[in-house]
Amino acid sequence: MASTTGVSASGDPAPAPASSARRRSRAAGQDILGLVKRFLTLREGSIIVVTIIVAIYFTVRTDTFFTTENFKTLLPYFAPFAILAAGEVFLMINGEIDLSIGAVYLFTPFLFYELHNGGVPLVLGVIIALIAAAGVGVINGFFTAIVGVNSFIATLGTLFAFEGLTLIISHAQPVATPGAQVTTTTVNVEHVVNGHHIVLPETVNHISTFARVFGGGTYSELIWALAIIAVLQVLLSRTRWGLYTVAVGSNRLGASEAGVWVRLVVIRNFILCSTCAGLVGILEAVRATSVQPDTAGANAILLEAISAAVIGGTLLAGGSGTVVGALIGALFLGILHDGLVLQGVNANYLALYLGLAIILAMVINTYVARVRKGSGLG
Amino acid sequence: MSRVCARDPDLAEQPLPSEIVVGPSSASDDVLRVEHIAKRFGPVTALRDVNLHLRKGEVLGLLGDNGAGKSTLIKIICGFQKPDSGRIFLHGDEVELKSVDDARSRGIETVYQDLALIDELSVFHNMFLRRERVHHPLPLLANRLMREDTRKALDDIGINIPRIDVPVARLSGGQRQAIAVARTANSDADILLLDEPLAAMGAKEGSMILDLVARLKQEGRVSIVMILHNYIHVLEACDRVNMIQDGVIALDKPTAETSVEELTEIVVNEYRRARQRDRVVDEQAPG
Repeated sequence: MASTTGVSASGDPAPAPASSARRRSRAAGQDILGLVKRFLTLREGSIIVVTIIVAIYFTVRTDTFFTTENFKTLLPYFAPFAILAAGEVFLMINGEIDLSIGAVYLFTPFLFYELHNGGVPLVLGVIIALIAAAGVGVINGFFTAIVGVNSFIATLGTLFAFEGLTLIISHAQPVATPGAQVTTTTVNVEHVVNGHHIVLPETVNHISTFARVFGGGTYSELIWALAIIAVLQVLLSRTRWGLYTVAVGSNRLGASEAGVWVRLVVIRNFILCSTCAGLVGILEAVRATSVQPDTAGANAILLEAISAAVIGGTLLAGGSGTVVGALIGALFLGILHDGLVLQGVNANYLALYLGLAIILAMVINTYVARVRKGSGLG
Repeated sequence: MSRVCARDPDLAEQPLPSEIVVGPSSASDDVLRVEHIAKRFGPVTALRDVNLHLRKGEVLGLLGDNGAGKSTLIKIICGFQKPDSGRIFLHGDEVELKSVDDARSRGIETVYQDLALIDELSVFHNMFLRRERVHHPLPLLANRLMREDTRKALDDIGINIPRIDVPVARLSGGQRQAIAVARTANSDADILLLDEPLAAMGAKEGSMILDLVARLKQEGRVSIVMILHNYIHVLEACDRVNMIQDGVIALDKPTAETSVEELTEIVVNEYRRARQRDRVVDEQAPG
């Protein structure tokens, strides 16, 4: 901003024919600068640039980064976090936070396992488990929106409570995910070697259609993530649900005076966030074919999901945020993890780099928000 | 009380504010009538016994000092708060206003003192908050339609806002007020409640809002209750004036029958009486 005003203020003291061409090129330069600034002031703009830079860096520095094989490795590093972060974005725009997603992520697959043991069919079991996950959202919403407990405290409570409940019902023992078991068969495959036909036995892994859909298939989680991101972004920016979410986060009293049912808006966002977490829990359990009662791991996943949302450009203060940004934030973290591993960086450094990346992203976001407010770009 | 008499016999002869209570009154063409409304917030009594009526097409000015209960009364009439006791009539029928939505569905629209604008939302989303247009049967917002209607509504009022797709956080105080008033005027309501519509307004923007009120009055479609602080504005824009003092309506007169002097005198007397009361209490306390 300072540079543009500086140019117009200094001006040309004596306009000469030679300077008009220079002025034109300078104007073109300003147009490009304006476009760049406009892109950067998009909520997702800065993180898109940073993600591309990081991807290019790892492509140049390693031979293995830009390969299909690595893309498949990368997927589980970011698709689950994208879904978790997308749900969290709605609450953060509301000016709330949901810490219990770690517990819901852990609890839902165990409930699914217990239901299946009790004779409930697979898909019905998933549906009931997701309804239970939504129920945790109702509890969070009740304590936050109706009782008036701060959401950080209320969901901290449900985080511990449901992690504890998971340990109780699982007896702290891992279980095999129902419907996710891989069966192996041996088939004879004919090969042609130096003109000779030879038949060799090969083992082939089979997974059920259920498992393929719910996280077991290579691209299953990616497809879930993209579909959910698309639906939630439309929900946020093109429906009343999203409009009221922004309204409540931006001006709670004003929204309520205008007739928005603030409590309903908050509660349904808690339900949305919890259900996303429950779904991710099941997808991950099916992908891993077993469920680990690992509360520390669940807490790490919770924090990484919040990081993805924050890096993607959603403000903790509420009133502003983006679902697509959450996807890109998760992708950024995934690339960072994956790339550092490929580079052979000591695993101990990962957390350090992650921390620095979050702080850097927040500094950029704060600056961009300031520019956006002043520049007239929406 | 005798000590007060000794100080100012003139003032003491006047009834105390608690004694000047405008009782329930009505006209055949009332759109709104409230009777014996009372409201307490913990130990604070905001409204003691408020009676008020509003005729069709009328502009009623509501005056009163800070904390007299004006905003509380407005919040009760618009359904935001429930009165502890009292009755509300719309078009002659008694109603219970359950919520802002309920009051709105009965034709009561409000501009609050704090404007109830959402800083992060665009001008046109604010204009249509809680009345959004969607692409039926899909629940998707019809943004283009809302943008066009907003532009038209603002042009009708003569409020110049260059860009209506920017967040309202970027507008001036006067522009924000204009949007808040335009929002209510643009609705299908027949009762508008304006809580200090001229606050934070420049002279030019303020007169635009008064022009708008005059235009609405001319149309005769809506009835307006307007909280104002400036007596000149009251006499200029309103048909009738009600003054709230100490939680009751202490004066109810057509503006044609009153003057800036009379309104000022009432307020000044109230102020002096309050000060004398305080002094009496102070003097009695040590003895």
